[in-house]
Amino acid sequence: MSGATTDRHATDRRPTVPGTQLYGMYMLAIAACLIGNLVMRVGMRAGWLPGSARVAIGVLTVLPLIAVTALFWRMLRHDLDEMVQRVVLDGLAFAFTVYVPLAALYVNLRTAGAWVPRLDPPDLLLAPMILAAVGIMIAWRRHR
Amino acid sequence: MRNALPTLRASRGWSQGDLAEQLGVSRQTVNALERGKYDPSLPLAFRIARLFERRIEDIFEPGQGDT
Repeated sequence: MSGATTDRHATDRRPTVPGTQLYGMYMLAIAACLIGNLVMRVGMRAGWLPGSARVAIGVLTVLPLIAVTALFWRMLRHDLDEMVQRVVLDGLAFAFTVYVPLAALYVNLRTAGAWVPRLDPPDLLLAPMILAAVGIMIAWRRHR
Repeated sequence: MRNALPTLRASRGWSQGDLAEQLGVSRQTVNALERGKYDPSLPLAFRIARLFERRIEDIFEPGQGDT
């Protein structure tokens, strides 16, 4: 099956990793949220950011994430072929099913007074993204 | 699931990219299909069968544990 791997379409512009562009946009959108969160904290601590401005920053910095979510559904339904859809959905299923018990364990251990690292909201926001990336990589390898 | 896709594709002198284009899927999907790493949906299986003018069961056959 040597012909299977040597094809004339080496310059095929399709992404070699499912949803890499989308994942990149997701990370940028999350970065906007995190920057907003950081600005709010710094502003609150220094006392130069009034409450209304904090709320505005909090809402505005989430807007890119909402836009990316809409793009995600569009891409999933129209732009990805069935196997890549499967890979992305498997990855998301992995992220969800791993994140929930991990979060439950963390909450319970913290409530129990056991030593657990202190996680800020930004950490909790990034965890599902990292898990989704891991899940997509696992699913992708299964189909290679 | 085993399949005759590599043979059929080679008989037409198509690359994986050519076949992918005709089926409307990515080259990665064709590669996974040929290697038996991915089982196609029924609509895709029908598209493949129509393209090669064969019946689905002439192209795909269940592997161990699929029956």
